[in-house]
Amino acid sequence: MTQPVLVARQVTKVFRQGKLEVLALRGIDLEVREGEFLALVGPSGSGKTTFLNLAGALDVPTSGELLVLARSIAALSRAERAELRLRSLGFVFQAYNLVPVLTALENVEFVLELQGEGATRRRTRAMAVLEELGLRDLAGRRPGELSGGQQQRVAVARAVAARPRLVLADEPTANLDGENAEILMHLMRDLRDRQGMTFVFSTHDPRVVAHAVRVVTLVDGRVARDEEKPGEAPHEIVPGLGKSSGAARV
Amino acid sequence: MASLETRYALRSVRRNARRTLLSVLGIGIGCALALYMESMNRGRDELFARVGATSGSGHVRVVPAGWRARRDTRLRLADGQADLQMARSVPGVAAAAPRARAQVLLAMGTHVVPVEMAGVDAAVEPRAYRFAQKVSRGRYLEPGERGAVVVGKATADRLRSDLDDEIVGTAVGRSGSIESAMFRIVGIVETGSDEIDLSVCQVALEDVEELTGLVGAGEVAVVLDDWRSTEAARARLAPGLARGDEAMTWSELNPEFQGHLEQDKATSRFASGVILLIVLLGVASAQLAAVLERRREFAVLSALGMGAWRMVRLVFAEAVALGLAGAAVGLALGLPFVWRFATHGLDFRRWMGSSYSFQGVIFEPILYGDLGPWVVGYALGVGVGATLLASLHPAWFAARTDPAAALRLAP
Repeated sequence: MTQPVLVARQVTKVFRQGKLEVLALRGIDLEVREGEFLALVGPSGSGKTTFLNLAGALDVPTSGELLVLARSIAALSRAERAELRLRSLGFVFQAYNLVPVLTALENVEFVLELQGEGATRRRTRAMAVLEELGLRDLAGRRPGELSGGQQQRVAVARAVAARPRLVLADEPTANLDGENAEILMHLMRDLRDRQGMTFVFSTHDPRVVAHAVRVVTLVDGRVARDEEKPGEAPHEIVPGLGKSSGAARV
Repeated sequence: MASLETRYALRSVRRNARRTLLSVLGIGIGCALALYMESMNRGRDELFARVGATSGSGHVRVVPAGWRARRDTRLRLADGQADLQMARSVPGVAAAAPRARAQVLLAMGTHVVPVEMAGVDAAVEPRAYRFAQKVSRGRYLEPGERGAVVVGKATADRLRSDLDDEIVGTAVGRSGSIESAMFRIVGIVETGSDEIDLSVCQVALEDVEELTGLVGAGEVAVVLDDWRSTEAARARLAPGLARGDEAMTWSELNPEFQGHLEQDKATSRFASGVILLIVLLGVASAQLAAVLERRREFAVLSALGMGAWRMVRLVFAEAVALGLAGAAVGLALGLPFVWRFATHGLDFRRWMGSSYSFQGVIFEPILYGDLGPWVVGYALGVGVGATLLASLHPAWFAARTDPAAALRLAP
């Protein structure tokens, strides 16, 4: 059995808007193991993004226990949560959210610089990731000079460049056409297969869900269904970009 | 090569070119005005120090024990010669002039004028006392010349006396007796101010010694090449003085004069402060708008793991870039004016005539600004300092960005 990277026990989240209280999560129980490729699905307002924000240490639960890489999110300070995100988590956003004034290469490098990598090492690493994702020729372009699909691939490159253990993607294909959505899912799946990274992504798109190994359905802030695809072959980690240990089985 | 953070900051500054240009222009104008004001302040410092020092007090004056509290002209230095030698050995001293003062009643016929007579060394006094060069009729004292006096025109007029007239000086002697001596007027000083003219009455130091029975100098006026080194000169001078004698600066000697100067400076610095505050608020508003526009971007940076202090540093880096550009504009705008101010001065003759006096000091009617390498540091300090101050709130705001909430905002 592989290590859980994410454990949620009776996690709730309440948003307060003036006197109004909105119960976004009503007691989530979920365990995500290392190397999983998990899709969070459910209708709008079901709590997918809220849960991803909690899992990404961007927010803290109102109650319940949420462990990310064995650390309780509620017990961490802002600075500790930032450090956790920097060292162990990667994010892919629906709207790409690349820094517009930096080139594709610089966007990927940025996280590595935040981690304190030296200029040469981070450049080499960022270039290697871009190359792996077929973006080498676009390295010098700024986000405004890239298509949506290209921007999202750069965003994936940024998310995985620092070799995080858990990558969280909120509707990563929502702004992409079918072809680009397919390309992106193949890329993410490939990264998971070769590097053992854990991917948790939310989506509405059935074509994207088809790529998932495990599908968790949220309804009204609760886990309504948790399905694991039967017969999914354990992935192998191949050398190259990836890390050399921590092979995971789904 | 600059770090990515720096490149990001620099490119962010260029994102909204119009806003950046307006901010830079605002900082630049504020900087230029502050430069001009500071040039005026420094020029005024120099003017006050120069005219104050050469109106009799010297930049530094060596005085006897007890003089600071009593200001008694009968007090004499413990060892005037030693103090004089010490003063002359201090680097940067342009002149050191010994003096002995006495309260004297000048009389000619039935006319009497009370004056403060100064016994001087005529060889060095003109270098320490600028009114010695304002002899309008006759001449100044010759070195070693006894029985001769130089008086101000107002004094001569009140005595109904003229050149070569003999006048009687009467003072209280050492033992309390009344002592008198005869002096021949060899020169009449005309400064344009009756107040100053009435204060001019110079004879040989030995004549005062003889008249009062008090031997030695009562002070040594020290004039420096550079008034800015006043404190340093005093510090070097003080330990070497004869026992009990002490060194006082021109501002200590003329507290009212110093007060007037400080008041003037405070007024112009207040004006500079108000200008800078207005600029600062404008820049703060622009910076805050820039941060608010990028809330989502800051949320992304936070999601990527950028800590609060790093975000503050990022906003500050942008502020420094703005401040440097503003300082450059400030120098470009302000330097021509400061240069003109320093070379041509501000002419107040239309309002105050050829000169005016205050506290026994005659001021020149043209005020020159100061121009030196300090302008670069000052402009950088004002430009960068103001923008950093203006960025405090935006930086705090950026650092406190709630990533989850900000990411919910529409892109």
